[in-house]
Amino acid sequence: MFDNLRRLIDKIKPNFVEGGKFGWLQSTFEAFETFAFTPNTVTRHGSHVRDAVDMKRAMITVVIALMPALLFGMWNIGFQTSLNAEDWPYELGTAASWWYCLWFGFLRMLPLIVVSYVVGLGIEFMFAQIRHHEVNEGYLVTGLLIPMIVPVTTPLWQLALAVAFAVVLGKEVFGGSGMNFLNPALVARAFLFFSYPTHMSGDKVWIAADLWGTDAIAGATPLGELAAGSLPSDTALDMFIGTVTGSTCETSVIAILLGAIVLLVSGIASWRIMLSVILGGGAMGLLFNLIGANDYMQLPFYYHYLMGGFMFGAVFMATDPVTSAQTNAGKWIYGLLIGLFAVMLRVLNPAYPEGMMLSILLMNSFAPLIDHCVVARNIKKRERRKEAVR
Amino acid sequence: MIKIKKGLDLPLTGAAGCRVSDARSIVSYAVKPTDYVGLVPRLMVVEGDEVSAGDVLFCDKNDERIRFVSPVGGVVKAVVRGEKRKLLAVVVKRQTGNGMSSPLSFDNVDDLKQKMLHSGLWTLLRQRPFGIVANPDTTPKAIVVSGFDSAPLGCDYDFALQGREDDLCRGLETLSMLTEGTTYICFRPGQRLAQSVLSHCGKVNVQYVEGPHPAGNVGTQIAQLCPINKGESVWTMNIQDVTVLGHWVATGQYCPERVIAVAGPLAKNPHYYQIIAGACVEEIVRAQVLNVDYPALECSKESMQSIRVISGNVLSGTRIAQDGFVGAYDSLVSMIPEGDYYDFMGWLMPGLKKHSFSRTFASGFIPNCMSGLFKVLPEELQPRFDTNTHGGVRPLVFTGDFEKVFPFDIYPLQLLKACIVGDLELMEKLGIYEVEPEDFALCEYIDPSKTDIQPIIREALEKLRKEGM
Repeated sequence: MFDNLRRLIDKIKPNFVEGGKFGWLQSTFEAFETFAFTPNTVTRHGSHVRDAVDMKRAMITVVIALMPALLFGMWNIGFQTSLNAEDWPYELGTAASWWYCLWFGFLRMLPLIVVSYVVGLGIEFMFAQIRHHEVNEGYLVTGLLIPMIVPVTTPLWQLALAVAFAVVLGKEVFGGSGMNFLNPALVARAFLFFSYPTHMSGDKVWIAADLWGTDAIAGATPLGELAAGSLPSDTALDMFIGTVTGSTCETSVIAILLGAIVLLVSGIASWRIMLSVILGGGAMGLLFNLIGANDYMQLPFYYHYLMGGFMFGAVFMATDPVTSAQTNAGKWIYGLLIGLFAVMLRVLNPAYPEGMMLSILLMNSFAPLIDHCVVARNIKKRERRKEAVR
Repeated sequence: MIKIKKGLDLPLTGAAGCRVSDARSIVSYAVKPTDYVGLVPRLMVVEGDEVSAGDVLFCDKNDERIRFVSPVGGVVKAVVRGEKRKLLAVVVKRQTGNGMSSPLSFDNVDDLKQKMLHSGLWTLLRQRPFGIVANPDTTPKAIVVSGFDSAPLGCDYDFALQGREDDLCRGLETLSMLTEGTTYICFRPGQRLAQSVLSHCGKVNVQYVEGPHPAGNVGTQIAQLCPINKGESVWTMNIQDVTVLGHWVATGQYCPERVIAVAGPLAKNPHYYQIIAGACVEEIVRAQVLNVDYPALECSKESMQSIRVISGNVLSGTRIAQDGFVGAYDSLVSMIPEGDYYDFMGWLMPGLKKHSFSRTFASGFIPNCMSGLFKVLPEELQPRFDTNTHGGVRPLVFTGDFEKVFPFDIYPLQLLKACIVGDLELMEKLGIYEVEPEDFALCEYIDPSKTDIQPIIREALEKLRKEGM
């Protein structure tokens, strides 16, 4: 079967090369061809053998790491509705209800994911074709991340707009994946947050009322409750497991940690960043504990890990290799500051209940500066060595 | 003892066994200007000329004292030229044996330099930065010789130089005359050669280096012992060439014999061959394909298909034709399969036989949990190495990986980017003088973006060198 497919591809390939009938679809064709078959290109010189990992493999590893959070998120969408909706078809707590939660969430997530991929990849393919580049795999991850960090009731047209904004202005204008300085998924999230605040925050966005549409049932997130001046009604254990309200797939710390294990074992994401974000957040939380001026400050520091998108951000967003600091020392500084600012924003600025997104975007823009300083030290060291010889 | 922590040993199959075949009867030899970085050759012979071993074939146009000589006596069979009449190789067909001479002595350094230049041995000396043939008008701050090859399938010098210890020591003593600084030689702890050097050459500083590849690369050792600053130079010589030098000093004879390893997954009977520098590999390769002892008879075209022959190691060696010639500085010929195949859903499959530095393939989990059970991995679990790139070229996206295999106090990604944009000043600041392309070979290997890093570094160095000229 593979041989037949290969033969078919080889047969139609001449139509898609430069000057062929469908020459204008070259990049698209190449994307699908290399999707089916790893290309037969060989090394010409230099290192004659190459590592088996390529961009596709690396990106698919991240997608796999996202799966636990995605699956739990789907189930939780259904679960939250089942708790609050009046016409839930199954008795709560039964196996049937459990499975229906997953199915319900799957049907709610599917349009979000499809819209994100269709719009995002469409733009990516277009840019690749105009530039005569191969299509970059970066969007495989970004396209999944975006629906995972928005409220379930986000209107599809808003999502489409945000995706287009993020891909064009967050990435392609800089030259595509690898050249951007802001995490495109967070650019999309920020676009939604500032353009359509009524759909992105408050109490009436987090729980889907029914299978279709953007109607929502009231229900505050733990962070929302804190911003409103009360303590979270959910227990720490609930928040750790993730059976609380929040953006679609960010609630479960367990599921996110499973993904973190995949990322760390495979070596795709930086353990330095993950660890330092967590340390930074904890340090700020402890500092607030010491000050203890209000209820929020007295909240045990580890609550910050459990609430909102802190862990999701630490594991999947801050570790984006393109937009994070690129030197190892820089990664520590970058991560620590993300953690610090995220908790600081949460506690000190009730207008933005969730500080993680803004904190990562802020440090994204500072990452080149951090790297510059780290590299400057190395340069100075080299200059000193030279002077010592004289 | 210097401990190198960063690096990677590739588990290629087909390491050379401890056995030597005599292949000095090979007829065809070549000296290739392309083996020498930045060389503009001036041809000194024409086809049909008779030459004896040590006669000049071509010289450096910029410094005619630097002569490239014939390794054997015979007739100039061909002058091979490429595009724009670029001189690619001078092929000599061997006819006569070597002449007789007498031991040499040197009055002073200049006398030694003179004689080395005249004999053609000078071209075995290379200088860093730039990797060019050493400039005889300068004095290096140190000379460093690597006593072991840590590259995949690398030559075991303890075995290859058996019985040549005297020549080695004499060569090292001679080398140490060329610098006012220290002459270092680096060995793995426990290497037999180290003992001979320690007991016979007092002038040479013996160092021990431990760790994965690139611990044996002279660049790694220089970075540890005497990092190169702008304006300085360090000279290096391959350890086999040091014995050639020692032999020349003792006998006055230019006798560039060396023992090379022929190895790799496609070498059916990998072992060592005694050759004369620049030998044609055709018969050796054939013998390896047919699994017979050298010399081998004709073999079918099919059995020779899809074999890549590399002079040097798989990470930084030079691709040569199946009837090509061993490179001037190489002690290893690697034979690996070409990888021009399509791999269905290669990016998704578990990949039990795919080697990766990252642990994104099933193969990444085998050695760790299985090596306790098996001394040698069963064949089904051995990773397969070929020339497939395993993916298309992409922009540099991932960070922090190069550092894991790059044992220098240099930021590899930042230096690479400086080289790509051609910012000479930044390159200097980031330490370009301390590296050669081969030092980036492992970075190139593990790079998921499939960037050809070594040519970028070479180009940048050449640009810098021409700027300084």
